[in-house]
Amino acid sequence: MIFLRRQIPLLITLITGLVFAGQYYVPHPASEQMLTSVTKWLQIIGGFALVLGVSSLFHVHAVKIRRKEAGWGYSFVLYVGMLGTIAVGLWSNGKEAVDGAMTAFGWIYNFMMVPLQSTMFAILAFFIASAAYRSFRARSREAAVLLIAAVIVMMGRVPLGEYLIPLSGDLSQWILNVLNASVRRAILIGVSLGTVALSIKIIFGMERSYLGGGKE
Amino acid sequence: MLGDDEGETVSFTERMLKIDRRIIFLVIGFCTLLPLLYPVGLPIKISQEVRGVYDHIESLPEGSAFLLSLDFDPASKPELHPQSISLLRHAFRKNLRVIALTLWVSGTGMADQVITQVAREMGKENGKDYVFLGWSPGGTAVIINMGQDLYGAFPADYNGKPTKELPVLHGITNLRDVNYAVSLGAGRPGVEEWYVFGKDKYKFEMGGGCTGVMAPGLYPLLRSGQINGLIGGLRGAAEYETLMGQRGRAIAGMDAQSATHLAIIVLVIMCNLFYFSSRSRARSQGQAGA
Repeated sequence: MIFLRRQIPLLITLITGLVFAGQYYVPHPASEQMLTSVTKWLQIIGGFALVLGVSSLFHVHAVKIRRKEAGWGYSFVLYVGMLGTIAVGLWSNGKEAVDGAMTAFGWIYNFMMVPLQSTMFAILAFFIASAAYRSFRARSREAAVLLIAAVIVMMGRVPLGEYLIPLSGDLSQWILNVLNASVRRAILIGVSLGTVALSIKIIFGMERSYLGGGKE
Repeated sequence: MLGDDEGETVSFTERMLKIDRRIIFLVIGFCTLLPLLYPVGLPIKISQEVRGVYDHIESLPEGSAFLLSLDFDPASKPELHPQSISLLRHAFRKNLRVIALTLWVSGTGMADQVITQVAREMGKENGKDYVFLGWSPGGTAVIINMGQDLYGAFPADYNGKPTKELPVLHGITNLRDVNYAVSLGAGRPGVEEWYVFGKDKYKFEMGGGCTGVMAPGLYPLLRSGQINGLIGGLRGAAEYETLMGQRGRAIAGMDAQSATHLAIIVLVIMCNLFYFSSRSRARSQGQAGA
């Protein structure tokens, strides 16, 4: 059993990891065809992962409703929403509009999902302003530098700021193009090196957390 | 400071530091609403980043294949929707062949609506001047698949028509045949993924659009030339509308954004003044006590 649950997946990871790491550098048509086939499989698996995610969500909230845990009412609303949207979506064949006429699925999308998602992110502006007022204080030299840079960029990124202080536009561009770009590049390089290291560990079986838990 | 008594003055700064956040919400609310009702219309300076995308599209000959990936959901609609409208208008004005798709399932309906709306406005025909391929699962796998074989990745368009029969895709077999691609991304997959899995291997020219929050993170790609332009946030969309000579939601929103930014700056300055005043008061009281 351990052979099926541990050794086989590790072997598959090793072989496919090495093959497709090498595939990138091999322009032969057979290599390209192999890449095409595997990416199609990836898309198919991605579709199944979506089904898996939804069924997992169903299961988690079913348990909450059955046990009447704290907040089970929200789980019930989620259940009704999910089942209703799936039923309506299947009935409308997944289309928001047919020949210019909005379907029921389109109605749910346009008049429920779009406003709700937009609202959720729109209210962030208010919380950001409140958080900025409470915590954006120059308690140290570094915090003061950050504060000054933030004020310059906030001024420079809007027409009113550029109108009041014309230099703020050029200064904010310099901060973004020089200071920000160089630091982000350093972070990107660090993250990329870390990703390469982690990938090598996964391919060679040194990192096995993706296999999940369970008895050996 | 008001009040003769030191205790009253301290109390005022302390009270201001702990002000009810609903007052701040009201201030931000007014700063957003009033400029939308009474617009000012300040001039918008065009940045090199946005000009990069605009100039490249301007340079494309008629009939070039322009790929637009609308990788955002309704949460990012206020910033990226105006960008998509301006880009589509520009592409249709230049009579480019527009190939649109999305890598975000929750943005599919919105993407279809914006393309249909702009195409109708510009008198363009589905299948002949543009195609909306829709969404396919897999994220980066879709990009690789399109790079290998576009018809394999999308055998049919969003309306179910076989892609091989569409005149707009004539002569295009994979991403190598695309003249210019722009990804309007609100996260992952987005601009970075299109570069890493698309442009790097299949060598097409590429630009990007993103939310204001994401823009600083894409400057390394911009500075190294990996993308030739970047439309960042509502400001970027407003700049593009200015270049197009068309006033839209982005330009209208810049007045509100200006007022809100100014309000936040004033609030931050005020909070720091109260903070330093409170700190120096506490220090002097401490010295007096000693």
